[in-house]
Amino acid sequence: MLDVAATGPLIDVRSISKLFQTGEETVHALRDITFGISQGEFVSLLGPSGCGKTTLMMIMVGLTSANTGEARIGGRRIDEPFTDVGIVFQTPELLDWRTAQENVLLQIEIRRLPVRNYIERARALLAQVGLEGFENKLPFELSGGMKQRVALCRALIHDPEILLMDEPFGALDALTRDQMNLDLQRIWLEKRKTAVFVTHSIDEAVFLSDRIIVMTPRPGAIAEIIKVDLPRPRTLDQKDAPEFSAFTKHIRKRFMDLGVLKDG
Amino acid sequence: MLSLLCCLGVWEATVRYFDVPVYLIPAPSLIATKLMTAYPLFLQESLHSVISIIIGFTLAVAVGIPAATLMIYSEWFRRGIYPILLTAQVLPKVALAPLFIVWFGFGLLPKVLMTFLISFFPIVIDTLTGLNSVRPESLMLIRSMGGSRWQSFWKIRLPTALPSIFGGFKVAITFAVVGTIVAEFVGSDHGLGYILVLARGNLDTVTVFAAILWLIAIGFLFYFAVEVAERIFIRGRAARRSHELGAGL
Repeated sequence: MLDVAATGPLIDVRSISKLFQTGEETVHALRDITFGISQGEFVSLLGPSGCGKTTLMMIMVGLTSANTGEARIGGRRIDEPFTDVGIVFQTPELLDWRTAQENVLLQIEIRRLPVRNYIERARALLAQVGLEGFENKLPFELSGGMKQRVALCRALIHDPEILLMDEPFGALDALTRDQMNLDLQRIWLEKRKTAVFVTHSIDEAVFLSDRIIVMTPRPGAIAEIIKVDLPRPRTLDQKDAPEFSAFTKHIRKRFMDLGVLKDG
Repeated sequence: MLSLLCCLGVWEATVRYFDVPVYLIPAPSLIATKLMTAYPLFLQESLHSVISIIIGFTLAVAVGIPAATLMIYSEWFRRGIYPILLTAQVLPKVALAPLFIVWFGFGLLPKVLMTFLISFFPIVIDTLTGLNSVRPESLMLIRSMGGSRWQSFWKIRLPTALPSIFGGFKVAITFAVVGTIVAEFVGSDHGLGYILVLARGNLDTVTVFAAILWLIAIGFLFYFAVEVAERIFIRGRAARRSHELGAGL
């Protein structure tokens, strides 16, 4: 556990900018981003493709460096990869030659923790996301949604302080996606991890988040930070409720103003 | 198998009917008799070839995989070695064979060297392709787990590269057989290649054909050995499934 000052945010991002050099051209990917995320909070980074959401998330945990500004976790400046974290990417990134359970346990092996002690936990986690009986299946025997569930278990098995998700359900069909949202909410409510969720689905962001950081098109900057104070656990039915659609409407209007969305 | 037998039958009949001279094309029955009677000689001489093939190929694997690995991790090494590698590949190695004899004599060494040189390149290239086919996200994942370069190599990169590496092995093992035979052709006092040269000199076409059959058998044997190893090392790959779903497309 990190030693977090009672008042300060767990993740503290201060005036971060990022430039990419592509041949002759310099692309401004992120511009002067500042925000904080409290411990146990679920925050979404919402914005159009290519606005630097993923880059920002990687900078937060030291997997990429920023050109200016700094990220701090628990007050400590991030200069190298921060490892008390679990990451889920858009693609499951499972190893073909490992079973579901072995893929989950990769996290433990790489960290050089005693694998034996985590086998029960891996099975319990897999059962929790509805994969009981699939522990010994190889990835090619699993559906896209199942693989992503395995990836989620792999991100949680070591009980990390922070859970990062980079459009984890972006490649799934709408129905599977809804189910995954429900499952993720349930698991998050149980464990109350600090979660950062990158998405370009307005619906998904509102459904899952405590706060949404809305980003502008490139160069990515913060357009608005929205607090979603809907009660939890949220249900799919709630998506039709006026309180819910007030948020989605507001964000959609914001994207219209930014030119991300245009009426036909 | 049946088609092969038919071919042999036609061959035998044609040779007998048209009374083709033995030094041009011998009948299969003659070759079979030769194979049976000269069996100890062929076995002994193939042993010489086989040893050279095994040592040369093993050497190519033992040097090729580490070389490809170094090329992945060291830009400096890659830039330095690549032109040399390419030059060694485009240069017809058969042309080197006489030199090898001058330098190393008629023993095992020049044969092994030729085998090594000829099978080295496909192993390096395919290993390189395989090691590079790792997804960056997978490596980021390992970094987020605090994993070392060593761990990412053994747990991710190498297993990911295995199908490619075995692809390289399959090409290389057939090359290795060619490498050894060529070396034996040019200058050697043992091996199936040497038997071939000797028999041709005596217009003993029956022995030439018999030696070629032995070579085919050896080639198959090595190739299948690589395939068996592949099956042992690679599990859970979707190749079979994609074949099934693709229905031959």
